[in-house]
Amino acid sequence: MKKTLIWLLISVLTVALLITGCAQKPAETIKIGLQVPLTGDFAAEGQWAKQCADVAADLINQKGGVLGKKVEIVVADDGSNPKDSSLTAQKLISQGLKEVIASYGSSVTAPAADLYDANKVVSVGYGCTAVRLTMEKQRPYFFRTCGRDDTQSEFFAKFAVEVLKAKRIAIMHDNQDYGKGVADDAKRFLQPYIDSGQVELVYFDAITPHESDYSAVVSQIKQINPDVWFFTAYYAEAALLIKQARQAGVTCTFVGNNSVPTPEFEKIAGVDAIKGSIHLNEPMPQFLKSPEAIEFMDAYKAKYNEIPGSIWAVYAADALNALVAAIKNAGSTDPDKVANAMRTMTDAKGITGPMMFTDRGDRKNIPYYAYIYNEEGKLELYWPKD
Amino acid sequence: MRMLLEQFLNGLTIGSFYALVAMGYSMVYGVMKLINFAHGDLFALGSYLGYTVLVIGAGWITQVFGIWGGVAVAITAAMIGIGIAGLVVERIAYRPVYKAGRLPIVVSALGMSIFISNGIMAIWSPRFQAYPQNAIPSGILSFGDIRITLVKLVTLLVSLALMAFIYWLVERTLFGAAVRATALDRDTATLMGINFSKIILFVFFVGPALGAMAGVFAGLNYGRIIFNLGWGYGLKAFTATILGGIGNIPGAMIGGLLLGVMESLFEGFVSGAWKSVFVFLVLIIILIVRPTGLIGEKIAEKV
Repeated sequence: MKKTLIWLLISVLTVALLITGCAQKPAETIKIGLQVPLTGDFAAEGQWAKQCADVAADLINQKGGVLGKKVEIVVADDGSNPKDSSLTAQKLISQGLKEVIASYGSSVTAPAADLYDANKVVSVGYGCTAVRLTMEKQRPYFFRTCGRDDTQSEFFAKFAVEVLKAKRIAIMHDNQDYGKGVADDAKRFLQPYIDSGQVELVYFDAITPHESDYSAVVSQIKQINPDVWFFTAYYAEAALLIKQARQAGVTCTFVGNNSVPTPEFEKIAGVDAIKGSIHLNEPMPQFLKSPEAIEFMDAYKAKYNEIPGSIWAVYAADALNALVAAIKNAGSTDPDKVANAMRTMTDAKGITGPMMFTDRGDRKNIPYYAYIYNEEGKLELYWPKD
Repeated sequence: MRMLLEQFLNGLTIGSFYALVAMGYSMVYGVMKLINFAHGDLFALGSYLGYTVLVIGAGWITQVFGIWGGVAVAITAAMIGIGIAGLVVERIAYRPVYKAGRLPIVVSALGMSIFISNGIMAIWSPRFQAYPQNAIPSGILSFGDIRITLVKLVTLLVSLALMAFIYWLVERTLFGAAVRATALDRDTATLMGINFSKIILFVFFVGPALGAMAGVFAGLNYGRIIFNLGWGYGLKAFTATILGGIGNIPGAMIGGLLLGVMESLFEGFVSGAWKSVFVFLVLIIILIVRPTGLIGEKIAEKV
């Protein structure tokens, strides 16, 4: 008697569940969140990222979307700062989104990634390269389409010593998450050369970001006169530093890290200051030549009449491509299945190359390049010229 | 030796920005006993006004007046514009709440600061704006191994000349005596026949105008401006004001120059990362030894 009652109860509940399940109209679109900085220090990056994600979504939808549905982007602004980032993440989570792209800047991304992770939302970073994001603790739902700071630092050590033949190296950062991370790693990868006496680290210090006058530190660099001056922070400070340094008569080779060479950098510093300076970067938008890249760039040009201002924005588009590929492989938007599909993906082609991820959420095999500004202030590929 | 001289020059230039902005703080505090938090943002607004004049008028202003003439026009326009803006701020944000006590007016000042910086963001976008390269004079002077841009030299000379002029005006003229008397004791000064509204007019026009000039010079020197520019400069200039003795105009000049030189020397010879720590440590020590600032006079307590 008791057993039949329980069975009855279970079947009634199952039927009820099925009915309510069926009664819900299937959603017409698959919504994917896009947390980007549309205001604040990184506003330009956020704008480009939004435009790239829009174009990528258009291309996906033209090909019939995913799982028979169209992809819809839900944009939220995180104001380029960690405090607003948490609020923005909360906002997207409370809208019931299961997959999001977030965000630019490691210190902005970290708090959001924690929230997404705690709420079982798959988040894909596109411009956050601090090593600790994936290596300090495991976030099962966090991935990134960009590389890591230490990839770049390792490349710098090799490039500076073997290609530029530098003996005396200066490294300058801005005491913030990202810049200090790159600088510390560069020092670590230079250590073997320093120990063998092949290289001397003649300067390792920080500037204060958001200031306008860097003449004090420029005078110091002039005094030290290193072979290579490696700057590891953002373009706004880099532009002022290189301009003031060239005006003060500093002639050493300036090497910028991957967030320096942007149109804003060129505009603020001017051609005279930037020519001859070398910048490390993941493949830059204008040098991407795969069929996927050409298709994307053509669509972007048709819509905005220019190419994306930075590679980070293109990584945002690839974050969307990766999520869509994972949703397709998983056959659902269930975050657990999508996260698993992200880890096991082998055949997804992104704009920036094949997309595969490690267990900790890092992307595998990201190439690195050095570019140089020529006499006209245009970037050219410098090394390696495969 | 070369490095010391160069760092000293660098420090004087940064310091002259601080000093120009600090004078505005000090003037207003002296007369109104109010910390005008909106002052740093008026400085930023001045920088944007100068930028707009140079961008819009780049073609014809530079053609008619030459490149330096263009700069002069931009500075004059920014100074007049921001001087008037200063008067408007006083009229709408401070005068109505002046009698309500000291706290409401401070809140009003903070509100004005946020209003102006967000207004700049709304009008000119939150992105960095670059001063047009073709409107900035590009010469560089070399003295042996020391190189200084022409713009920097002009900034330094004009700022120092202006400081000297304001010093003369405040310390050596009858009108200056009236300003100082008002700062000392407003009620008695009014009883002596000093026109208080005239003094208000003076400090709220000249203070922001000096800030606007510093703003345009900052744009010309560094080429890059952003809507929250006023925050950083405002904070440093305010520090300089306290350092020199608040309410005391020559004190603000000395405080600004000293702060700039200290920053520069410490960053150049010790460590950039520890610069602010050191500078503010020195500030605290000075305030412990001389609570009224370097040349602030001890004011008798009212009993």
